[in-house]
Amino acid sequence: MTAAATPSRQFAMVFDLNKCLGCQTCTIACKTQWTRGGGMAAMWWNIVNTIPGRGTPRDAFELGGGYRDGVPQAGELPGKRQWGEAWDFDYDKVFYDGNYGGNNYVKPREHDGAAPEWGPNWDEDMGAGEYPHSYFFYLPLVCMNCSKPACLEACPRDVIYRREEDGVVLVDEERCHGYRFCIEACPYKRIYFNEQRAIAQKCISCYPRLEKGVAPACVRQCPGRVRHVGFLDDVDSHIHKLVNDWKVALPLRPDFEVEPNVFYVPPTMPLAFDENGEFDDAASRMPLDELRLMFGPGVEHALAVIDAERQKVAAGGSSELMDILISRNWQDMLGPFPQDPGKLERPPPRNDATERRD
Amino acid sequence: MTDGSVTHILDAINQPVSFEELLSPVAAAWDATREVVISLTPTPLERQPSAYVQTVWRERPRGEVSEVKVRALCNDSSVVLRLDWAAGEPRRSINDVNVYADGCAVLFPANGEAAELDTMGSPEKPVAAWHWRAGDEQPFSVTATGIGSVKRIVEHPIKVGARWGEGRWRVALGSPLPTDTVGLARGGAVPVAFAVWCGAADDRGGLKSYSQQFHQLRLQ
Repeated sequence: MTAAATPSRQFAMVFDLNKCLGCQTCTIACKTQWTRGGGMAAMWWNIVNTIPGRGTPRDAFELGGGYRDGVPQAGELPGKRQWGEAWDFDYDKVFYDGNYGGNNYVKPREHDGAAPEWGPNWDEDMGAGEYPHSYFFYLPLVCMNCSKPACLEACPRDVIYRREEDGVVLVDEERCHGYRFCIEACPYKRIYFNEQRAIAQKCISCYPRLEKGVAPACVRQCPGRVRHVGFLDDVDSHIHKLVNDWKVALPLRPDFEVEPNVFYVPPTMPLAFDENGEFDDAASRMPLDELRLMFGPGVEHALAVIDAERQKVAAGGSSELMDILISRNWQDMLGPFPQDPGKLERPPPRNDATERRD
Repeated sequence: MTDGSVTHILDAINQPVSFEELLSPVAAAWDATREVVISLTPTPLERQPSAYVQTVWRERPRGEVSEVKVRALCNDSSVVLRLDWAAGEPRRSINDVNVYADGCAVLFPANGEAAELDTMGSPEKPVAAWHWRAGDEQPFSVTATGIGSVKRIVEHPIKVGARWGEGRWRVALGSPLPTDTVGLARGGAVPVAFAVWCGAADDRGGLKSYSQQFHQLRLQ
């Protein structure tokens, strides 16, 4: 309800879309860590969608929210079929009732038995374009910890706040009354509704891990070395260099005007072909208009810089930018959060049989 | 009477029936009570504390329930108010991300003194309310010291009985006497106000129909 206070430092992430495999290891790392409680079965605080695609929830970026010329924009609340429910699977019928084989396979079902109509990354790998110019890329999404968080400003109860020490945006679940203005207002639709508890819940940037110097689970477990973390004001960090110095890490959908603090290295895409079937260096597989919409007007400069630095290395030279993006030592990507969580003193493991409430 | 400017007197007649029976919204005891029709209006948009709500709800409906019929009963140890309002499309629970439940509330000045209703009280003059939301197992007892400050009281004795039929909700909200947050006891009187949330119109939080002013609840 009040404007977000400016934190002393801003935690930020950079996702290199040229390395994302779409494997959803980040998604499962998050799921395992945070969203196994009651009413959270269908929550994916971290999700990787295929772009072009309709997203999670369906048509996520078309549902309004954010700002235009500083004015809050109306947002729609998607229903749970639009988010995708936590489906049931007819394992018993297929595996234990003598139906195995033939045309019988394990089918997902909504809770009322209907066939699913949507789910996380539903349009996986469909992409767009005509052969040989078909194209797609993977877009990992978490809470953007925006500097102008529409969710925070929409909440009439001041339940959402930005941490002073790192700018991480959190929902005070104890005070949330489940009005869901925040979900409407978030233009990325990265806030979920826990129907069982009637509260809003979302990615918390693994803040309890950050406080112990441990990178978020999605970052640490990424096998593609996609995710860099750190503070924007640390001039020696990957984050600062990629965002501020090299200007190759860009905000997602800057037209939403929420000033996100997750930045993306845009996809360079495979080369296009000319009419003779030869590589066409001047053409782009993905229309530039689509890239500009996703990453703003800086995308052409970013792609040109990446291309130039690649060529420099291909010609035998060296490039600080390529060294950062390749990150031969994966722990370099973790910035001030390199702590191995396995080496921390931890409470005894949970007994899943009693802790799981779904 | 449905004139919003009229202060109504709501007399809670003492009936020798149990608290549980009073909480039945269709109990025979209600037939002998006098019905008071309270007119409701949408809460003022300019009072909403969020720029998002203020901007977006200029184009959206809110607070469309125009009246609530109220009756009151008591016995030697408890008081119950029954609210009755039209709900053609009942929302009986929050069963989807984009579904809001119907609800109602009875609100009192917490210390018996008149408090500002439009702001849900103030730090000096807090308000207390009994709040029922369809689908919840228990009603809430809440206090507030201004808009956006509503706080649920975890341990409270408020009980509810609710029934929907023939296009209307009938909800009986009650408390043992003396009431814990309101200072209401046998033979006493307190200002009382009312609010209704229409789930089908996405009412929630401060977006609701309310009675604009306090009326008077008297206990026999």
